[in-house]
Amino acid sequence: MARDSLAIISRDHAYHVIAEDYSYKSEAYYTILARELAGDDIRPSSRAVLDAFVVPVCLERAKHAGIPVVGWGISQAYVPLPAILYGLNYFATASDYFVVQDNTQAKEVIRHITNKGKYPFCYQKLEDTATITTCTAVFGQTTGSCAAIAGYAEELYKIFSIPLVNMVFVRTGDEYALSSLTPTRYTRLSEGERAFLSAYRDHQEFL
Amino acid sequence: MSRLGVFVDRKTLSNAEQLNALIHCRDVAEGLGHNAEFLFPVDINKIPKMDALFIRARTDPMNITYVAARMAEFHGIPVIDDANSIQICGDKINMYSHLLKKNVALPKTVFLSKSDLSVERVTGLFDTLGTPLIVKEPSTSFSQRVEKVMDIAGFFRVARRFIKMSDWIVVQQFVESTYDWRVGVLGGQLLYACKYTIPSVTFKIQASVNGHIVYCGVESMPESAVPPHVIRLGIDAADAIGNGLYGVDIKNNNGDACVIEVNDNPSLESGEDACYPRVYERIVNHLFAA
Repeated sequence: MARDSLAIISRDHAYHVIAEDYSYKSEAYYTILARELAGDDIRPSSRAVLDAFVVPVCLERAKHAGIPVVGWGISQAYVPLPAILYGLNYFATASDYFVVQDNTQAKEVIRHITNKGKYPFCYQKLEDTATITTCTAVFGQTTGSCAAIAGYAEELYKIFSIPLVNMVFVRTGDEYALSSLTPTRYTRLSEGERAFLSAYRDHQEFL
Repeated sequence: MSRLGVFVDRKTLSNAEQLNALIHCRDVAEGLGHNAEFLFPVDINKIPKMDALFIRARTDPMNITYVAARMAEFHGIPVIDDANSIQICGDKINMYSHLLKKNVALPKTVFLSKSDLSVERVTGLFDTLGTPLIVKEPSTSFSQRVEKVMDIAGFFRVARRFIKMSDWIVVQQFVESTYDWRVGVLGGQLLYACKYTIPSVTFKIQASVNGHIVYCGVESMPESAVPPHVIRLGIDAADAIGNGLYGVDIKNNNGDACVIEVNDNPSLESGEDACYPRVYERIVNHLFAA
């Protein structure tokens, strides 16, 4: 699919919007909204995409569904270190997350994501041994090295019904916990993910 | 004793009038036998311990107020503003779509997507909606990112700026007036009414003129002084959005009333409710009756 393009497919008695970016006020968001107002069964819903890309809301919904999530808090300035930080305001970009290890770095990132202290932000405390893992889910399915979190991808698809989404997990030992969902680009899909997306678009059956 | 959380942020409290209004709200809640406490963004995890939540900070689906509203909803706690109202009222495409769906009277309104921005299309808009046109970026509040344009060149200047912030924008017929009615609605009933007198130097209720912010005049009006069809229209518009607290802006030229916008989290600190001393009592009772 071409950059910024979107496709609507009909499957399982519902319409599905495939897009790179479902963020608030994007073409995909308004396409979904228009279909909702027309009474169509359209997925994801506009509420689901808002919830998915506002990190604390995403994590609360995932937690209620039994998916392990990273503990989070809201701050205006202070963060325990190391941590992952997310902007939480109108100007924040859903795909941006920042791992900070020390106070100097944290101060700089916080200044950036809060627009010089105007807004609160979301932080997630990391264990010293934690690593960040990202995986793309295509209609809730993962390929290749993401097998360890395949079950979570399926569960997240049941909650949000977002056909194309990047999942950010924190891995501590053998445990994975969801940190956020972010948009992805068609160009960043692996061959396997692209093949899966094409197959879905072409209405192939999955057994 | 029931606990009312009043969700605020630094900005809310930086304004003396807003602070006074919040203290009044807290006093009213306590007078009704509830315990009221202010919750700041860092206190968001206290929301599940509340019995009701009243959000008094600038709402937007991308900011902390949306998180607060959703947290309340996840725990079955009544909340004003609810997430649905924040989502709809925070976005003028969504808000006008809901009003159009319910046949609420509006100025002629068109939504333009990025791919619609052509000279032919814009020429057609001037032909059908007249001159001048009003162009709005959907997330506008306090009349920011609302511009009046007189010609095609002016239209593109504004539209190119707004389309960087939103893939769709709003284009509306201009309706001239010297004041807007503000009809406050709670749970489908009139809560208060006032007049916002538009400063003579602008067409908006708030604008930056030569580097200075000019504000509208506010005059609380008793129900008997408000045309009944204006009240009816305000209630119908609020009902098209939800069952919460809304401030509906209405222009009433020659008896032809039309809705300019529906606001969630309406201002209550500038004397809007002077003729309606029970406004906070009704809000608190509404929350605890839910």
